[in-house]
Amino acid sequence: MPVESGAEERRLVREAQSGSGAAMSELYSLHWRGAYRAAYLVVHDAAAAEDIAQDGFIAAVDALDRFDRRRPFAPWLHRIVVNRALDWARRETLRRRVDGAESVFEPLPPPEEIGGEMIAALKELPAEQRAVVVLRHLLEYTPGEIAAMLDLPRGTVNSRLRRGLDRLRATAETQTTAEGVR
Amino acid sequence: MSRDALGKALLETPIPVSADAEERGRRVVAAAFAQRPDEVQVGPRSHLPSLPRLALGLALATLLATLLLSPAGADVRGWVGDAFTSSTPRPEPTLARVPGGGQLLVQTGEGPVVVQTDGSRRLLGDYEAASWSPHGLFVAAVEKRTLSALEPDGTPRWSITASHRVAVPRWSPSGERIAYRSGLDLRVIAGDGTEDRLLAGSTAAGTPRDARISPAYVPPAWAPTGENALAYVTGAARLRILDSETGAVLTAAPALPRITWMGWADGGRKILEASRGKVRLRPVWRAGHPSRPALGKPRLLPLPPGAVVNDAALAPQRSLVVVSVTYWRKHDTYSEILVFRPGKGPHTLLSVPGSLGQVEWSPDGKRLLVAWPGANQWLFLPLGHGRGRAIANISRAIAPSGRPTSFPELEGWCCRR
Repeated sequence: MPVESGAEERRLVREAQSGSGAAMSELYSLHWRGAYRAAYLVVHDAAAAEDIAQDGFIAAVDALDRFDRRRPFAPWLHRIVVNRALDWARRETLRRRVDGAESVFEPLPPPEEIGGEMIAALKELPAEQRAVVVLRHLLEYTPGEIAAMLDLPRGTVNSRLRRGLDRLRATAETQTTAEGVR
Repeated sequence: MSRDALGKALLETPIPVSADAEERGRRVVAAAFAQRPDEVQVGPRSHLPSLPRLALGLALATLLATLLLSPAGADVRGWVGDAFTSSTPRPEPTLARVPGGGQLLVQTGEGPVVVQTDGSRRLLGDYEAASWSPHGLFVAAVEKRTLSALEPDGTPRWSITASHRVAVPRWSPSGERIAYRSGLDLRVIAGDGTEDRLLAGSTAAGTPRDARISPAYVPPAWAPTGENALAYVTGAARLRILDSETGAVLTAAPALPRITWMGWADGGRKILEASRGKVRLRPVWRAGHPSRPALGKPRLLPLPPGAVVNDAALAPQRSLVVVSVTYWRKHDTYSEILVFRPGKGPHTLLSVPGSLGQVEWSPDGKRLLVAWPGANQWLFLPLGHGRGRAIANISRAIAPSGRPTSFPELEGWCCRR
């Protein structure tokens, strides 16, 4: 993720807190893509990711005046976005998991537009594992920071990361083997 | 696989994104930013209004002028009253009391919450969904395979465990029965938790291929006339009216394709069906005998071209339908609240940039609650004279822990006293 200078970001937050729409717009420009990408990689639904990123910014606007501008803006936003993405993914799982073998959902369209086996493999992970993998490897937070963001024990974050990475690794190795056989 | 390779894949692999998504969000966020209440702002503010606020105000003023000065506007005038004179009302920072009174039932990320008239709120517990009993004395709540009846303070009265996941409980107008889904079955249970029985079995076969969500998950709807007539949608997308005591199918017809919601309108003389893009009314003929209803030819309600239906709601005791829609015009998203009266075209009660959400009538049918998730607000609009009110910071105001996770969903506004 592109990281803007801390001083510049603090200036933007300060000006936005003072009512500057231009500063808010600049903060939005700096962080929307990261927020959208993080949301998408957790929910794998473009429309939902757009809503979640937008909701994240709305929540940030709502809480802007209480924001401690000595702290970086991005982790604060990412915490909101990833938690909302997790909420969405859990609700979606719930809706799909109608009891019994029958599903009342038609399968979603195959992700033809999604490039990369890794993204497809990520989609197969449980939402909780996806979230920690995205926070760790896309947004580059430490397990301790992720634990604070998701309100989880650090051990849970580590175990989710390990399980998620094991499954992604298995997928990657299977693909490598298959390519070697061809 | 190294971490670097995974990080690179996550960072660089193209993902689907709408070309306009960023700008769409920017406009909504700018509107929300412009709507921040002054009370919570920190530091000096410019004396000049920000551009988004100015644009929003001008758009609303233009719309209102158009509405009030046009011939049709004269009719609207009595409806809008002075709810919106030159812009949306200045948002109040918190929900100090429910305008018009009554209690709201909302679903939050933490569970259903009852909002009392004085604005206080109570989390009912860890339930996935809830609905009011007809007089607001109880709430039916579901969690996985459990259906429970609770008092509005969260005290459980009874619970049953079904064989499949429970959803969409709906209390009959008499309060004697609750219809609900267990898996794909439609079941009914007495209001005291006894006499649980199957009304209609699994009807998944024949679910249309293009249905993303089974029509079987459209909530069933009791006839408002106090009869035993229960309307529901089968998995094969048929609209059926059953006798809830005998299970006999009284009448049936094809449901609106991709139906998402339906309800009885006009005192039981019509059924309203809504999908993502359409809303239609279908007359229910009594054919000389109230127990022998017949479904007439449906009529689509006119909506703006390309409009997406956010929600529809039927006024209690009145022949009014309100529809919340969102549509695109020249690269901008707008939402409108349209009011339909019998035999007349739609009246636009409200138009705002961005996306509006659910609509809910007050128990006396004199007021409308409109959810505006993009601005994190609820709008309370009177249909007669009186001031409209906007309440800000809804996610936080409603979240039981004070930590908003998502904008709350409206489940009901109860009750007429």
